Amino acid sequence: MEHTESNITPAPMLEARNLTKVYEDGIKALDNLNLKVEPGKIFAMLGGNGAGKTTAINLFLDFIQPTEGMALINGINANKEPLEAKKHVAFVSENVQLYPNFTAMQNVDFFVRLGGKTHYSREQYEAALHRVGLQSSAFDKKLKDFSKGMRQKTGIAIAILKDAPAILLDEPTSGLDPKAGIEFIRLIGELRNEGKAILMSTHDIFRAKEISDHVGILNNGILMAEHSSDDLRGVDLENLYVEYMAGYMEHTESPIANALKPS
Amino acid sequence: MYTLLVQKELKNILLSSKFTATFIVCSILIILSVFIGIQEYNNAVSQYDINQQIASQNIEEANGWDRVRNIAHRKPNPLQIFVSGLHFDVGRLSNISSRDDVKLSRSPYSDETIFAIFRFIDLAFIVQVVLSLFAILFTYNAINGERENGTLKLAFSNSVSRAKYLLAKFSGIWLGLIIPLLIPLLVTLLLLMVYKVPLSGADWNTIAAFFGLSMLYVTFFIGLGLLISALTQKSSLSFLLLLVIWIGSVLILPRIGVMTAGQLVPVRSVAQIEALQQAYEQQQWDEYSESLSNSWKQRMQEMEGMTEEERQAYRDEHEWNWMEEDDALRRQVRENITKNNRLLLEETQNRKNHQQQLAFNVSRISPASSFRLAAMNLATTDITLKSRYEESMRTYRDIFTEYVEQKKEETDTQGGFQISIDSDEGVSIDFGRDDQKLDVSGVPQYTAPDVSVAAAFGRSIIDFGLLSIFIVICFGGTFVAFIRYDMR
Repeated sequence: MEHTESNITPAPMLEARNLTKVYEDGIKALDNLNLKVEPGKIFAMLGGNGAGKTTAINLFLDFIQPTEGMALINGINANKEPLEAKKHVAFVSENVQLYPNFTAMQNVDFFVRLGGKTHYSREQYEAALHRVGLQSSAFDKKLKDFSKGMRQKTGIAIAILKDAPAILLDEPTSGLDPKAGIEFIRLIGELRNEGKAILMSTHDIFRAKEISDHVGILNNGILMAEHSSDDLRGVDLENLYVEYMAGYMEHTESPIANALKPS
Repeated sequence: MYTLLVQKELKNILLSSKFTATFIVCSILIILSVFIGIQEYNNAVSQYDINQQIASQNIEEANGWDRVRNIAHRKPNPLQIFVSGLHFDVGRLSNISSRDDVKLSRSPYSDETIFAIFRFIDLAFIVQVVLSLFAILFTYNAINGERENGTLKLAFSNSVSRAKYLLAKFSGIWLGLIIPLLIPLLVTLLLLMVYKVPLSGADWNTIAAFFGLSMLYVTFFIGLGLLISALTQKSSLSFLLLLVIWIGSVLILPRIGVMTAGQLVPVRSVAQIEALQQAYEQQQWDEYSESLSNSWKQRMQEMEGMTEEERQAYRDEHEWNWMEEDDALRRQVRENITKNNRLLLEETQNRKNHQQQLAFNVSRISPASSFRLAAMNLATTDITLKSRYEESMRTYRDIFTEYVEQKKEETDTQGGFQISIDSDEGVSIDFGRDDQKLDVSGVPQYTAPDVSVAAAFGRSIIDFGLLSIFIVICFGGTFVAFIRYDMR
């Protein structure tokens, strides 16, 4: 990782404080989540389906109301002052669809302006689209002719152009081919180096380990473990993940767990 | 931001192939409908003019004032081009005579039944059925479709208020559907001018009001589409629901209103009325015959015991009075019959009015009924078309018959005629007049009943109000549903 860490810990750009969500049917989707993402850091939430990763992101975006706790963006309660909080965050969803009848350029223009950035020129849009790896010939093509990877790139370009200090990524590499996945990781790394605080939900253990500063493992809405990239160096994250999912860490003396224990 | 969202909606609609297809279909339908409506109207006007001339000629050529028969014709209405209403179903003419009641007969569809099978599609029908369906097609996935696409989440990851977003969505869709529709509508106005359809200032106002009403109706379906789209998570479900609601409100509910009223307020059929009229008529003539027979018996009794000469002298002396007495009795019978027929008709008409009112009120739970009723009221091709004309024709009949009676008295033609049988000349009938044409310059002319614009507006105001309420309910419901909408 190329970024450098200062000794003074900056204020978190994204923070979950005792964040809990219980749905009307009684299902506890998120249970007392606490996490912080500082500027220039990437926090990857790992977990299976129904682990609570997307719920956490939805709470940050005020798509659902928390049962307890709060989600803060740049210190602003996202559920109390959503309009103010969302000025500081960009979002890329799992399956970026956008408007199929609009071209990539039209989609970018609309969503970027909706995000409050009205000063960009076409050249700047083109630069952002180039940066995410979209071919020039695709700029003025309608989205309905785009592959999933191309749509995902367009979505990331929108997030980049919003130029928000925090970025929420919900399964961003899901369905991408390996090449697109690598490009995506490179891009996320660049954004981190630019000082963005990135909270990412993913199934992709290897990429999470490769790019993240912190990895949190969620199971049934509970953050089972949170480790820094330094902790995970040399650890078989896949086995660790499986063991957490199976609940081994609570009952057995796992060699991996031992390796992660603070000395 | 509002403008940006409106622009996006507009662009999204205008760039879709769905829009291109519906715009072309709507434009062709609207322009063709008005074009055919103009042709129909012009034909109706030509036919009306010819029939008027023939009626006038027939009066001129009648064999005396006692033989005069008149026919009053329903005047074509230029607004029938847009809202044909009952124009094609109501008779075009009625005999005007003291003996028969006014009854409009020979409707355009009864004359040309083929057109009744494939009925004329007017602009009101296109708005009621086609445009409402298109409004649903453009709105069924307005909100849940964006959720499915993920664009709703992406949009609301920004500082966008739900109320502003919804308002912009509604405005964008409204503009995207209504403005393009104005193009073919303006073309229809051009057609009216090109074909020199005689439209008064009041008619132009009515057309403007009808266009406004159409927009109100389409707005309701836009609101309904948004509401259902905001109440459901899947566009396939909202489409199905909207289709069911559309079928219910456009095709079923208006008929249910009529059927319910038919059951609750039964009205005598034409056959029943005719049977009652005939029975009364028969009874009156039977009584007349009996009375006449009694009179003659009494007259005979008065002459009993007289010599033949005295009898002849008595007859010569009283014959004229007797004839007058008999004639007065006959006239009284006729008057009674006419009065009874009128009473029966009035009673039936009152009941029918009650039934109609109930049918309208029940069917008004459907916005399609409200639209249809308001459109017909504005164009004056509504349910009162027949009774309005028949009423005015009855008034005219009274004026006309009075004039003819006066003329008969002036020219001393009391309706008699003489049949002569001569061995040399054969049979000849003398009507007591020469072959000269009648002077018809003073004959009262029938003028079509006039409905003022204010009255037409007044009758349709309730439906304008109902449509507005339906829109407010839909939009209010959409707002509440969208504020609580699960965007995930």
